[in-house]
Amino acid sequence: MTKQVPNPNEPKWRSTLNVAMPLNLSYIPIGLACGVLLHAAGFNTILTGLVSIFIFSGGAQFMIASMLTINAPLLSIVLMLFFLELRYALLGSSLSKYLMGTSERFKFIFAVSMNDENYAVNYLKFATDKKWTPREALMVEHYSLLFWTVSNLIGSLVGSALKIDLTVVHFALTALFLYMIIMQVKNRLTIFIGLIAAVLAVFFLVLTKSTLGLVISTLISSFIGFSLEHYLRHKKPGSHFLYKVRNPGSKEASAEEESDEG
Amino acid sequence: MAAVNHWNTTQHLVLVILGFFVAFAPRYLPIKIFTQRKIPEWFNEWMKFIPVSLFTALVVKDVFVTPTYQFDIVHHTPEIIASVIVGLIAYFTRSMALSVVVGLVSVFLLAVVL
Repeated sequence: MTKQVPNPNEPKWRSTLNVAMPLNLSYIPIGLACGVLLHAAGFNTILTGLVSIFIFSGGAQFMIASMLTINAPLLSIVLMLFFLELRYALLGSSLSKYLMGTSERFKFIFAVSMNDENYAVNYLKFATDKKWTPREALMVEHYSLLFWTVSNLIGSLVGSALKIDLTVVHFALTALFLYMIIMQVKNRLTIFIGLIAAVLAVFFLVLTKSTLGLVISTLISSFIGFSLEHYLRHKKPGSHFLYKVRNPGSKEASAEEESDEG
Repeated sequence: MAAVNHWNTTQHLVLVILGFFVAFAPRYLPIKIFTQRKIPEWFNEWMKFIPVSLFTALVVKDVFVTPTYQFDIVHHTPEIIASVIVGLIAYFTRSMALSVVVGLVSVFLLAVVL
């Protein structure tokens, strides 16, 4: 095993950059592809930069690009965006206990640049690293924002000269979320909830024909997880569901090493 | 590809501004509300299951649901196989970077082969 002792003298900007790096790198091909598509949809480069900074959501920007190419009306694009972005409410709610005691200004700035991917990175750090601070989390957000925006700008400038297979590069984010699921698995109950979430997600996505399905299925399956865990802990503490799942390559809750392997 | 959309820059700007507000409200309000008061323990216990549920939903959407919101397994064989590979890599190495890189490479190769 390589030693994973964090260097105490390492400046914060370096250590947080290490944490953010895998995400930053996966943003490059996707950001390029997104910039190309926005360009094709008629967005100029400055607007592509603005949308990357102020909306900062891969899903939303891809949706804008595709809805513009089918000439959807403004109101319906904004409405679709609203449903798409509604899931951020879940991210904020689940991070809030780690953001207690931060200033109003900080919360505002933190919220502006929070999205699925940097939330995933930060949630994992908060959950496994007791020393992880909101300020470091914000730095991760800003690193990912920087890589995302620059990649979008380059994509917009290069335009259609660049051929990117979107389904392939998009899998970088799928892989990132898969990794995050694996990191969340602590006992058999988590695996069970994952399965429930998968079934419910398909059901509600197909039913609502929109990303609202993500929000509904997440709310329900997390609530099932909460209720089931509550029931088991109080009524059946010896239940097989609560058995811990073995984590190869890491000792109990110390999942800090992913930052050093990039 | 020629631009197929005929909006002008002002209309695009309006879209970005409105988009910012609908994206910002759900990001900001829960953080503001839930960091202000004492959160009951059950709420935190519930929120604990949000990440696994949401990430699973996002993956399922990418792998099993088409852009037109239909359930589809047949045309996603490369993604499904690559997902299994990524899962194993993540489980055994615990490395985010490795999971993403192996995932990209395998979905690329599988898409060529299959």
